[in-house]
Amino acid sequence: MTATVQKKICMLGGFSVGKTSLVKRYVQSVFSEAYLTTVGVKIDKKTVTLGDRVVHLILWDLAGEDDMSSLRMSYLRGSAGYVLVADGTRPATLETALSLRRRVEADHGPLPFALLLNKNDLREQWAIPDGELEELRRSGCWVRSSSARTGEGVEDAFADLAARVAP
Amino acid sequence: MEDLPAQVADRLQALSFADRAVAWLYVDDALALIAAGGCLEAYGLGALSLGAPAVEQAAFLEGLLPLVETPWLFPSIELAAGHEKGRVADLHFWRDEGGAGDGTWVLLLEVTSERDATRRLQQKAYDMTLLQEREAALNRRLEAAQAELRAQSAELARWNKTLEERVAAQVGELGRMSRLKRFLAPALAELIVSSGDESILESHRRDIAALFCDLRGFTAFAESAEPEEVLELLRDYHATLVPLVQSFEGTLDRFAGDGLMVFFNDPLPCPNPAERAVRLAVAMREAVAALAAGWRRRGHQIGFGVGVAQGFATLGQIGFEGRFDYSAIGTVVNTAARLSDAAADGQILVTSRVAGAVGDFAELGDIAPLAIKGLSRSLAVSNVVALRAGSD
Repeated sequence: MTATVQKKICMLGGFSVGKTSLVKRYVQSVFSEAYLTTVGVKIDKKTVTLGDRVVHLILWDLAGEDDMSSLRMSYLRGSAGYVLVADGTRPATLETALSLRRRVEADHGPLPFALLLNKNDLREQWAIPDGELEELRRSGCWVRSSSARTGEGVEDAFADLAARVAP
Repeated sequence: MEDLPAQVADRLQALSFADRAVAWLYVDDALALIAAGGCLEAYGLGALSLGAPAVEQAAFLEGLLPLVETPWLFPSIELAAGHEKGRVADLHFWRDEGGAGDGTWVLLLEVTSERDATRRLQQKAYDMTLLQEREAALNRRLEAAQAELRAQSAELARWNKTLEERVAAQVGELGRMSRLKRFLAPALAELIVSSGDESILESHRRDIAALFCDLRGFTAFAESAEPEEVLELLRDYHATLVPLVQSFEGTLDRFAGDGLMVFFNDPLPCPNPAERAVRLAVAMREAVAALAAGWRRRGHQIGFGVGVAQGFATLGQIGFEGRFDYSAIGTVVNTAARLSDAAADGQILVTSRVAGAVGDFAELGDIAPLAIKGLSRSLAVSNVVALRAGSD
């Protein structure tokens, strides 16, 4: 009999880094050029198979962090892991993502997470040095570049995180 | 609210929830769904099974139950986001206290309109912020490009300055080269310029071999011939002799009409100055003999004589700024000039010292001692008849 588990995963990051687009790419395999800001939370579901187990990922796509509104940490209640997203063309969003990680760990303890530097299809505007990624990897971060537009790195990130939250 | 008539209370309720989908769930402490109602379809919850696990049927409950605090609110949750008509609700959680059993109530109160209004404002604010960020990024790139441009301009200015200095140095070098080539073989002039050491041109004494030569019968020719004809003859004469001087690496001291003075062993030393001077003299004699044959055909009887002497002289640049010559002064120069004067056509008269230096490769003929103006006693002189075969 196939075992089924359900895990809550939160998407965190600054505004307009592509969290909603990454979920859309992962769940529906589509990408829209139009930017539509998220208010509150959007909940979606993706089912993956890990070996002989079926894992339902309940994806909480949280509104982006900005100067006006701070993330409600209560949204992360019951979360098994999270995806930190930064925009590779806006270095400040990496700082935001790392700051969110510190706050999550302070409130909920160390949870499995993946850090995605998104929009790597915009290489000519890329503003985060490769050395910084290496530095993050050396510090133990699971970090990859990704593109919601092309799909690069998206499946891998969620698959890896699913394997870690549902070992 | 208790004072409100039932009709008013009903009306208020109808107004409050006319455009809002309200739904509710009741979950017991074993996390089974005990009851559900309201507009469940609006939230994608149309196929619930009472008694079955609540979290498996309402995925948004994952991780939230049992409650840690009561009451609890999750505002603005869009359920079934992938659904075209996903509704947005505030999720209210509270424990059933004093009710029918131990469990948790979950109320879904629709706030789609409020969320949309908030989103419109937030969208404008984010769009504006993104524009400002892009403008700032563009400005940074522009400033970086300008800084790079300034750096390149400065670099270009440095290159220009270096280029000007190199051009000035090369022009100076060419000038010095030009001056040196007037009296040195080109190869020697280049050697001195490339070494950058012109101190050898300063006044000094050195043992040199001096060669003087001029034409026999030239004065008479110049008096009778047209000036143009005289100049043409001199041009041919110089054009023939000067390359020979350069090929033998002699230092050309001066032209004076048909007279020409060359010396060896200065400014660059050579191991056998007398030998070189005599070899040059022989080459000159042969070259002028060929020229003289042509002159004779035109009726001009012109011969050629050479004098060679060796001894110490004072050498250096003589003249003034803009008109310097490199010259030798001393008895050896006068002696060579007198020997040249005394030489008959085809003769190369050399002093005894020179004769001693070239005796191994030159056939010499004795000449009666000559009385040289400025010298107290007569001078032993030899005539170089020819170079010995195989002496090259």
